[in-house]
This record gives sequence, structure tokens and C-alpha cells, in this order.
Amino acid sequence: MSEHRTTLLQGTLDLLILKALAAGELHGLGVSRRIEQITRGTFVVQPGSLFPALHRLEEAGWLTSRWQPSENNRRAKYYELTRAGRRQLGEETAEWNRISLAIARALEA
Amino acid sequence: MPLIPRMLSLWRNIVHRDRVDRDLDDEVQALFEMLVQEKMRAGLTAADARRLASIQLGQVDALKGNVRDVRAGALISAFFRDVRFGVRLLARSPVFTVFAIASLALGIGATTAIFTLFDAVVLRKLPVPEPDRLVVASFGGPRGRFNHSLPYPHFERIEERNTTLDGLFATYPFGRVTLTVDGKPEIAEGIYVTGDYYRTLRLTPALGRLLGPDDDRPGRAVAVLSHAYWQRRFAGRPAAGGAAVSLNGVPFTVVGVEPEGFAGTEVGRSYDISVPMRALELLSEGKPLWNEAFATWIYMMGRMKPGISISEAEAEMRTIFAQVSLDAARGPGQERLARAHQLRLESAATGSHSDLRVAYERWLRMLLMVLGAVLLLASLNVATLMLSRGDTRQREITTRLALGAGRWQIVRQLLTEALVLAGIAGALGLALASWGSHTLLRIAVPASDRLPIDLVLHYRIVAFTAAVALLTCVLFGLIPAIRATSPRPFLATRQIGGGRRRRLVDRVLVASQVALSLVLLVAAGLFLRTLDNIWALDTGYERDNVLMFSVDARLAGKRGAEVPNTYRQLLETLRGVPGARSVTASVVRPVSDSYYLIDSVRQAGERSFPDDQRIRVAFNIVAPGYFSTLGIPLLAGRDFDHRDSPNAPKVVIVSERMAQHFDGHPVGQRIGSGPDAREVIGVVKDIRYANVKDAPREVLYFPMFQARSLSFWPTFEIRYTGAASDVLRSIREAVSRTDSGLTMFRVRTLEAQTQDSLSRERLLAMLTSYVGGFALLLACIGLYGLMTCRVTQRTAEIGLRMAMGARPATVRWLVIRDATAMVLAGAVAGLLASFGAVRLVETQLFGIAPHDAVALGSATLVLLGAAFAAAFLPARRASRIDPMVALRCE
Repeated sequence: MSEHRTTLLQGTLDLLILKALAAGELHGLGVSRRIEQITRGTFVVQPGSLFPALHRLEEAGWLTSRWQPSENNRRAKYYELTRAGRRQLGEETAEWNRISLAIARALEA
Repeated sequence: MPLIPRMLSLWRNIVHRDRVDRDLDDEVQALFEMLVQEKMRAGLTAADARRLASIQLGQVDALKGNVRDVRAGALISAFFRDVRFGVRLLARSPVFTVFAIASLALGIGATTAIFTLFDAVVLRKLPVPEPDRLVVASFGGPRGRFNHSLPYPHFERIEERNTTLDGLFATYPFGRVTLTVDGKPEIAEGIYVTGDYYRTLRLTPALGRLLGPDDDRPGRAVAVLSHAYWQRRFAGRPAAGGAAVSLNGVPFTVVGVEPEGFAGTEVGRSYDISVPMRALELLSEGKPLWNEAFATWIYMMGRMKPGISISEAEAEMRTIFAQVSLDAARGPGQERLARAHQLRLESAATGSHSDLRVAYERWLRMLLMVLGAVLLLASLNVATLMLSRGDTRQREITTRLALGAGRWQIVRQLLTEALVLAGIAGALGLALASWGSHTLLRIAVPASDRLPIDLVLHYRIVAFTAAVALLTCVLFGLIPAIRATSPRPFLATRQIGGGRRRRLVDRVLVASQVALSLVLLVAAGLFLRTLDNIWALDTGYERDNVLMFSVDARLAGKRGAEVPNTYRQLLETLRGVPGARSVTASVVRPVSDSYYLIDSVRQAGERSFPDDQRIRVAFNIVAPGYFSTLGIPLLAGRDFDHRDSPNAPKVVIVSERMAQHFDGHPVGQRIGSGPDAREVIGVVKDIRYANVKDAPREVLYFPMFQARSLSFWPTFEIRYTGAASDVLRSIREAVSRTDSGLTMFRVRTLEAQTQDSLSRERLLAMLTSYVGGFALLLACIGLYGLMTCRVTQRTAEIGLRMAMGARPATVRWLVIRDATAMVLAGAVAGLLASFGAVRLVETQLFGIAPHDAVALGSATLVLLGAAFAAAFLPARRASRIDPMVALRCE
């Protein structure tokens, strides 16, 4: 696991969260672990940053949440993508690709 | 961000806040548990797992705070939280809160009250569509004096020939009329209007229809009620439409009611009933002036066509006007007159020429400025108080800043506190303003039986109050807030003196408040003395215990010789009223707001006076017993009596000054020449005619019952004993016994009428007294607050002094000496300023000089006394400091 603490922009955190939930619903901690997993350890998102983002996305209507029993039979709040959320994920992905392509070209020039 | 989900979240966050908060708590708790479980599965002990988990979670409160901050509606709930906190904080220091709210509320209330009046009298536009297109006509001569009433033929021709107007109308207020509904007579105010009145004003009726061009023909006895009158007299019943009423005995039919909110085109003069202009022939006795080109009596207003400017309309009307005058001129004199006078058009968005406005506009403006200054000082006062409070909260604020609270957050919270204060004060002020403006108006225009202006709480006024409250809030909230949170926490915790610059600002503030208070108090003193002086003037008659009322027999349908006969009968009946010591009648009251009759005398006895030296006299028409009833001594000859009948030789009584124009003794000599000459039968002492402030002038008195008819309505004066209300009741009975159609109006005692005539002086005295007292109160509060603060700051020093043996009196003197410098500086500045300021009001003073010693002296004494009291309390507190406590707490 990399010790490198890369700073994460708010927009990209949103994108990662949406992506993390694309496969299915997860509780808060699960989202953090999944992001760690799919970025191969580059980003370890602390609860302090994750929770405000989760709530913000929920209020925007891209996630919904409900209480369910978790793995160890305790109750936990699970988040899942809404239809609008999936659309948003698609849009943000396309946007990200556009940006990174443009920057890559700029750096090669 | 999509709107609907956001709105839903907003709703949920505010309304179900508790549930949302608990949800968050649960979620964080669940997360914590999961972290612990995870670590325990990885092999850690329970205790270690919990410790690591909480480190990983970080500050729970901060976490929750962050989540809350991003919520929709975060700002709103923060605001409400601050408001609640602010209210709690204010409740904990009630003295400060009461003082602050009281001074702000009074300041805001007073300013808004004056502004309400100003708005109603000067600013408010007529409640008709597009009032800016309305214009009013006047005409004037080369010397610049303008006449607001015009001749009728000019109006007709302009109506025929103009191309620039969308509508033109003329009005003529015919004043008092007896309006009988269902057999019950009542006095009402009437107005004649021409056919296009309502159409030009674009009004729609609240009931029935409004008068139109068709109604403006001879013989049409129709009328329209004003909305207020319809509510008052007819209780808003729809049956009023089509109701049969009578005006001065002549039957009319009501065809409609005006819309609500409209009260005529002249501010301060509303009417109850409108009738077509041509109905004048039905109601009036004299020859109508339809064709008189040099008799001015109607008021003319019009509406310009779209796109036309006032100067275009004026140019056209001017031409037509001049033409009519020249056509009608007979002889060179009238031609000269016609050429010299020109028509003028002015915007009538705020209505036609208003006497009320002319009388009060300048004063209202000045008052508004004075009150603005007072309000500014009130805000600065509260700012000072908040600053000194801020000192005690400095530690709290500094600590919070150190703990990482945002500066903006704290400023926002302090500002919210100020907002709470300003909000409460503003609401209170609005209530005060509403009551105050009604009271002010009642004093300013006392002669009316009902308020001539609608003092409605217009949105403009509410906006004004809100703006004022907000401004003061910013003034006294923002500055301390910024000051308190400035990034110098070190010094603040040390509680060093407070900064020399800050001390100077506070002292200058208090001194300037003292100065302003003194100026106002001096002005108040001058006005009060003026009032006293006027009241104490010898008027030539005796003022107390005289009841006056008027009747008009013509309103009861009497004509010709019946009129004076009715009055004679009434006099007889009144003599029998219990409590009436003596009874008489006159046309002009001793203090009159309706009649002022003048004439010229060219022949007095043997002496002739050519035109340019003729004697200008005032005259009155009186019944027998006038002089004895009013206490005017008869110096020679006799009073009028039964001998002076219509067939007897014409007689007159003269005043002292008039008598001096005769050679020798005037009794027996004649005034005037030819068939109108009258024999002087008596001389009476001089009086101040019609106005208590006027100097005595030459007065002639004519006998009321020697004339065959009377075109003026008389006033009956009764000198009574006992309670005025009882006598009045008996008088009313006597009047209705004499003739049931007679209605009494303008019922007042002579004292009350005199007071009414001094309404402007009374208003000024009252206002400056209150505003001056208020400014003084503010200055004292400021002084008190400042000295208290200083005492607190110097607690250690004082404790030391007392421990070293200083006596309480010495300590008190210490504090008072501190205050004295400020107060004296302020007082001197105030005295100097008042020398200049009172020049402004010189014209309103009577009988005293602007630098009257008594007024200046008593104002200064009052000021010093109050300041001393304000400084004494903290001084006493200082002398009571327990040295042990003082030295220990540091």
C-alpha cells in the first residue's frame, strides 16, 4: 500500500464514490474500502472527508440510503446509486476522460 | 444540482431536523462499531481496537459538524441557532437589553412617525392609474404670486379647444352641507365636479356608477359618496346605491360610491359627497359665475395625453387662457390685467395644491433631519454599549478563535445578535410610529373632526423602518464584531487599558451627544417660553368658560329674513339654558379659523382719507351682548339693542384705535359717506382680532339683527358656569327645540380654540421637548455605560487606592472628575452650537430673544443635573469596591 498521500479534489472524490457504488450498495466504510481497492491503494479516504461527500451526494439525489443489517448483524446505513446517479456517473466519467486527454496532449506538446 | 431533490432535502433538514440528526449519530456510531470489529478481527484487543478506531474516526463532533455544514439549509439552521443563542445571551443581561431596545425603538419609532407624516403629506401619489400624467393649473401675475382658483369660462374654452389633454375637469368644494338621510340631518363636506372628473382620474366605482358628462347638466340632482363616508354613514350597505338623500333640503339621488383609498385630489381636504358642477344652480342662492371671466373660483386639473410633456400642454393652455381673458376684457384696465396674468401648469402626481402641505413640508423635512441625527446617535450609543459588553466577552471570543472557529462564523453570530436587537427594536418602533404619527397629526391639524389624511402603514414606510433598523444594526453590530475578532488575541487577553484611541472615540461620542442634547433642550425651552408668552398675552377679552358653536340656518332650508329670525329665536332659547351666564352671537369668533373680514374706511366723521391713505379695518357682525359676554369693556356710548332694527338708522361700534382716527369724540359722528354711512354709537377696548398673536388693529362692529339677511354663518358664544359637558347637553336640546333641522358644528370652548390656533407652536414645543429629552437620555446612558466600563477597567487601581486609605468620597470624586471633562466639553460645544441653531427658528419665537437667558440657563441646568446623576451611579459603585476582592481578581 502506498504511503504517498495524494490530495484528492472534491469533484474526483464524487466520481470515485459513484464508481464505487456502481457495482452495488455499500455502507460508508465499505465505500472507503472499495475506493482503496479500485485505486489500488492510491486513495485511502478518511471518514472525515467521506461522510460529508456521501451526504452531499445523497441530498443531490444521486444516492439513496437505507438502514440494513450488516455483515456482523449490526445495523448500518447502506448507500446505493439512483438512476440519476448512474447518469451522473456516466457524464462525469466522460468529462474526466475529456479533461485527462486534453492535459495529456498539452504535456506531450 | 437538481432542484427538486435539493428542495426535498431542505424541507427534511429543517422540519425533521431532530430525526436527521439522530440518523447521523446512529450512522457515525455504526461506523465506529464496524471499525472496532474490523480491528478486533485483525487481532487487536478490545481496548486497543477502540482507541485506534476513535483516532481513525477523528473528532466526532468535527465530523458531524462537517456533515451538517454541507447539508442543504445549513446556513439557515446556523442562522436560527445564532438567533436562539443571541436571544439567550441578551436575556442574561436584561438591563443592557432593555436600554438598548428602548433607545433604538424610540429613535426608530420617532423617525418613522415623522416619515409617515412626510410620506402622507408630501410624497404619496394619488391612488389613481398613472398619476404622473396629471397636471394642475394655476395662474399668476408678474410679482410671482399664484392663484390656484380660476374663472369658469376659461375652463370651458380649454376643454373645448385643447389637443394635448386626455381629460380635463374642474372642481369647487362647497364645504359644509346638511346631508339628510332617512330624516336624520348631519353635516357633511361636499364638492362640485364637472363631467369628466371621474373619467380623467380613471376611477371605477365601488358601488353603482360614478358621475359622467351626462350628469353635468342643469337640473340633474345626482350625487356620489366617498368611500369613507359610505362606510361611516351608511355602514357600507349596498342599499346606498339609489338612496334618496337631501342636501340642504334639496332632494338628490345617490348613484354610486367612489373606490376605496381615494380621498379627493387635495391632500388634507377630503369630501363626503360629490355632485355635478351644474347642480350649483340647485343648491346655491347667488348668481352662478359660468360666464364671469374675472371671477376665480374653480380648481382645474387634467390628464396629459401619452407622449405630451408638461411644457407642451402648458403652452397650448396658456394661449387659450390668454385669448379668453382678452376677449372678455372690457376697457384698458381689464386688458392690462389679462395680459399680466399667465396660466401655469404643474405636475399633480401628488395631488393639487394643498394648504396642509405648504404649511408643514418645510418643518417635516427639518424634523426628519434632526431625528435622523438623533437616531444615528442612538445607534452609536448602542454600539458603545456593545463595545463595552464586548470587552467582557473578549475572552470567550478569543478562546473560540484559538480553538479554530472561523472568524466569519463568529462575526456572523455577533451580527445575528445585533440583528435580534434591531429586529425587536424595529417592530416596537413601528408600533410606536403608528401611534405617534396619529397623535402628531391630531395636534398638527386639530380643527378637523376626523383625520384629513389616511395614515396607512404603506409598504414604503415599512421598508423605511426596516432599512433604518438594518442600518443601525450594521452600525452597532458590525464594528464591534470586527473589532472583537481582529487577529490580536494576545493583547485582548491581557485586558490592557483598551487602547488610547478607542478611549478618545468613546469620549468624543459622549461629548457630542451632550452637545446635541443641549441644543435641543435650549430649543425646547425657547418654544415652551414662546407658548407661555402667547398664552399670557392680554387679548382684550376674557378667555375662560366660554363655549362656542356654529349653526347655519340656510343648511336647514331657511331663506331670506327667516335666517336672522332663526338666530334671534335661538339666542332667546339659549338664554334659558341652565348654567348659561350670558349668551351672544358673532360671525367672527374671538379666535377664528374660518372668517377674517376686512374692509376699508375712507371717511371718519369730518375727516376724509384718500385712496392711498384709507384705513384698513377688520370687522365683525355681532348680536347684542357680545361685549359683555366676552368681557370687552365698553368705553363710551352703548351696546346694540332692540332699537337697532332693520328699519332704524344704521349704526356701528368702533374699537379704541379706530376712535383715534376721529376728530374729538367719535360717538355721534358718522363713518363712511352717502347712504351707507353709519352712526357710531359706542367705543370698545381694543382686542386682538381673530388671532391671539396679532397686534390690536382697528375693528368695526356691525349689528347682526339690523341686516335683512345674513350670508355668513354665525357662532354663538355662551359664558357658562359649571361643567362644560352638562351645559353642552342643555345647549343641544335648546338648538333642536328651536328648529329640528339645525345642526351644530365647530363646537369648542374658547380656550380649546385658542390652543388649536397655536398648534404649530405647540407641536414645535412638544417635539423639541421630547426629542431633546430623548437625546439627553441617550447621552446619560452613554455616559453611564462609559463610566461603568472605566470603573471596571480600573478596579485594580481603585482597590489599591482604597487599600492605601483613600476614602469613598475621594474615589467617587475620581470617577466624577473623569466624567466632568467630557460633559463640560459637550456643554460648551452645545451652547455655542445653539447660538447658531436658534437663528433658524427665530421666526417662530414670540416675545423672547433667541439667546434668552432663562431658556439657556434652565436647559444647561437640566443637562448638568442629568449628567451628574448618570455619572454618580458608577461613582458610587466604585466607592463600594471591596479592596480585597478587587486586588484578588486579576
